[in-house]
Amino acid sequence: MLFVLIVVPFIMAGLVFILPNKRTGILLFIATALFHLSCVISFWKKTPQAQWQNYLSLDVLGLLILSIISALFVTVSFYLIAYLKKEEDRSARLFLICLLVFLSTMTLVTVSRHLGLLWIAVEATTFFSAILINFHRAPQGIEATWKFLLICSVGIALALLGTLFMAVAATNIKSLLLEELLSHASSLDVSWLKLSVIFLLVGYGTKMGLVPMHSWKPDTYGEAPGPVGALMSGALTSCAFLSILRVGQICHQAGQMAFFQSIMLLLGMLSLFVASIFILGQTDFKRMLGYSSIEHMGILALGIGFGGTGFYGSLYHMLNNAFAKGLMFLVAGNLYRQYKTSRAKDIKGVLRSYPWTGVLLLAGFLCVTGFPPFGTFFSELMILNAAIMGKHYWFAALFVLFLAVIFIGISKIILRMALGVPRDKSLDHPQHESIYLIIPPVILGLIVLILGIYMPACVHEALQTASAIFEGQ
Amino acid sequence: MGPTISALMSILLHLSVILVFSPFILGVIGKTKAFFAGRWGPPVVQPYYDILKLLRKGSVYSTMTTWIFRAAPMIAMAAILAAGILMPFAGLKAPIQFWGDVVLFAYLFGLARFFMVLAALDTGSSFEGMGASREMTFSCLSEVALFLNFTVLALISKSLSLSGLIGGDVSLLWHVLGPALTLVVISFFLILLCENSRIPVDDPATHLELTMIHEVMVLDHSGVDFAYILYGNAVKLFILGSFLISIILPFKTQNVFMDTAVYLSGMTGLAVVIGVIESAMARLRLNRVPYLLISAVILAVFAFIITLVRGGF
Amino acid sequence: MEIWLDTALILVVLLGLFMTGSNRLGAIIQIFGLQSVVLGIVPFLMYFSKIEIHIVFVSLVAIVLKGFLMPYFLFWAIRHVSIRREVSPLIGFGTTLFLSGLLIAGSFILSSRLVFPGPAISDFIIPASFSTIMMGFLLLISRAKAITQVVGYLVMENGIFLFALLLLEKTPLLVEMGILLDVFVGALVMGIVVNHISDQFEHTDTSHLTVLRD
Repeated sequence: MLFVLIVVPFIMAGLVFILPNKRTGILLFIATALFHLSCVISFWKKTPQAQWQNYLSLDVLGLLILSIISALFVTVSFYLIAYLKKEEDRSARLFLICLLVFLSTMTLVTVSRHLGLLWIAVEATTFFSAILINFHRAPQGIEATWKFLLICSVGIALALLGTLFMAVAATNIKSLLLEELLSHASSLDVSWLKLSVIFLLVGYGTKMGLVPMHSWKPDTYGEAPGPVGALMSGALTSCAFLSILRVGQICHQAGQMAFFQSIMLLLGMLSLFVASIFILGQTDFKRMLGYSSIEHMGILALGIGFGGTGFYGSLYHMLNNAFAKGLMFLVAGNLYRQYKTSRAKDIKGVLRSYPWTGVLLLAGFLCVTGFPPFGTFFSELMILNAAIMGKHYWFAALFVLFLAVIFIGISKIILRMALGVPRDKSLDHPQHESIYLIIPPVILGLIVLILGIYMPACVHEALQTASAIFEGQ
Repeated sequence: MGPTISALMSILLHLSVILVFSPFILGVIGKTKAFFAGRWGPPVVQPYYDILKLLRKGSVYSTMTTWIFRAAPMIAMAAILAAGILMPFAGLKAPIQFWGDVVLFAYLFGLARFFMVLAALDTGSSFEGMGASREMTFSCLSEVALFLNFTVLALISKSLSLSGLIGGDVSLLWHVLGPALTLVVISFFLILLCENSRIPVDDPATHLELTMIHEVMVLDHSGVDFAYILYGNAVKLFILGSFLISIILPFKTQNVFMDTAVYLSGMTGLAVVIGVIESAMARLRLNRVPYLLISAVILAVFAFIITLVRGGF
Repeated sequence: MEIWLDTALILVVLLGLFMTGSNRLGAIIQIFGLQSVVLGIVPFLMYFSKIEIHIVFVSLVAIVLKGFLMPYFLFWAIRHVSIRREVSPLIGFGTTLFLSGLLIAGSFILSSRLVFPGPAISDFIIPASFSTIMMGFLLLISRAKAITQVVGYLVMENGIFLFALLLLEKTPLLVEMGILLDVFVGALVMGIVVNHISDQFEHTDTSHLTVLRD
């Protein structure tokens, strides 16, 4: 079943390549996304069989992230109906093909249980997302693609080195299968394990956008088309986070959790710091979202670093962030379609011109900055709680401070965009907005809202099982 | 004969070997270059003629110069010859050897260069001053490389005397430390090219060019002084070349004639190699020369590291 | 056999050194190809006594992919964008060479601190791989031309490949092939982007890619 889930998008990509029509391409894409989602829902009921001598299997962590990917793809697939309307046939099909392969490789990330295979999958996501960023073919798009490719390739090369170090540490185990590593973790060579953990964290952290290797993020998110931004900031970063969590699992079993957590604390705090500095003077809406993504990745890292309820909070925040970012980037896509820019000062009075988009923009703002009753508020609260329970008072204080600074930075940009009177007088009354451009972000917003006010029992249970992986010795 | 007399005799023998053979190397280089240029070229003994001709001529001195200008060629020649005494040649043992003489060896060359630079500055010509500054820039890189190479050889041979460095059983070590010694040879060859102002560092065949290094420094010397300088350069090439040859061909048969034959053919081979390089390569742009020397330094560092790892220290 | 293995490894490091010191793109690509071929021979020297089909396959694929196809592709790219030289590197050539020397020394020191569990075939492999990785990284961060940066990335991958050879008997063939393929695809995508850069900006000097910054 897992294998099917990986192969089907690939086959569909081939079909889109053969069939000459944009419309059938979009239909095939929607069908694939729905098929993917239905499979994932069935996985919640019944865990699928492991395949390929345990190379592929799905655990609760993978399931959580697979669900994020699937849900985001379904919403984006409907969004694309309107988004690709103006595009040429050829470029739209290339776009769809890359998206489908992207889906396939990200699915592979969530289900691979072998560190080498995991690496291959993460590397593959890099290339296909690189092609997607450059969709508009603008000079800046190429610049962003180049930076993304170069920095992520270096990061991923470091991760490969880390994987090899792990293989050295596991000389006695003679395997890189996660099951084997976890069950014989005590026989890992500690010094090589630590070296490997550092390289893996920096390497996969690059993909996630943690600080020392974050500089591709604002550029890429600033240039990527809205739906691609949604998938990258929601799904791809979660995949990278999953890779880091796999490292955490091994560290936990090997009794090196404190080492792992201290690195995560450091990376997380640095990410928050940098994000809060750069978000303040930001003039570009999508670049701001890039820094906001760095901030949220920092929060995820901090949650793991604090431990205790932080594990639960971090995973919970991962869900919230994925959907909130998805919402924000789809709104950004709407704005870009209508204003042909993402510079904040050129966009004014969105509420008056495009009331639905304006309301979504404000809702997304509340989601991203962590306002009640949205889920992000509760997950951030949980992580703060974990900091205080873990007696990290300084970190807690800095955490709150950085969040406050970021809140000011984001509100300054978004409120100015949403409120006020449009410059162009012809835009001073509500314009037509396509339903396909509105419903998908509404759904994503609702998911974050539901995660905040009513946590479904099955999700709660899954989060608890997942966080229990890291708790205790 | 007392021990003093025999010591003196061996020094004299050593010096005469050096003085007789060294211009020959220059001749072979010239012949090789001529061959590659498709010419017959001057005879191999042409450098001897050149030196003899200059020795018979008088010198012209600028009124601006002081005694330094007159003394420098002699001091340089003397220093280089003194360095030669520390150096063993194939069958000949070094007449003087003591612990740590490698340092003296390196600094005798340094002394020679120091006086040549002073003499160049003494003329007060901006042209010569420029050459002097270039010479010093490059020598401060090549000296580092030279000492690093000495360090590697000292580690291998566990000796700090020149005779120990190259006279010992280096040949046995080629089996274990072959890679390290290869690096030393390459690095030392680069130093040799730089120290003797050969292509690709400097072009000894041209005069009066803004890009020259060594030749521009000695423009004002003439007659006997210039003969000393030319002779000194030939001796320097001979000494450094035989250092290199003793590393590359460390064979020691008991037969003195065999040793000498191997050694002489090695030296001739080296001269041919230099000639080939000079025919095949162009001089490097001046600002690229330091990269060549830095490469020599890094090769020596690399050889040093390998020796440390492999040599079991 | 050990001395040949040593020689090959030292050659790999020296070729890396040449790349950091050279300013001709063509020469850099050729040296990279040569380095990859030498690296492809290394597995034979390492597992001299017990050559398996697995090892032969990996090294042949490495030689063909990295030693020939990749340089061919890179040459195509530089012909297409018609550039020859790295004119103004971000860090000068002398400094880069000097830094490479330090990095080589550093990798030897670092690897002397690490104990390789299991049979270490040669104690040069780990330092040689570390220095190659670091020199590749240096090439990548110190050069302005996009092609040189791609070569830097590939040199880094060469170093990682060298380290992976130590684990050749432990990792399955599938993973090795996946890694090689990924590297290949990576360079391909980068090459395509390089051409896009030259089409859009009429040069491939990434130091001019400065529109996006804060």
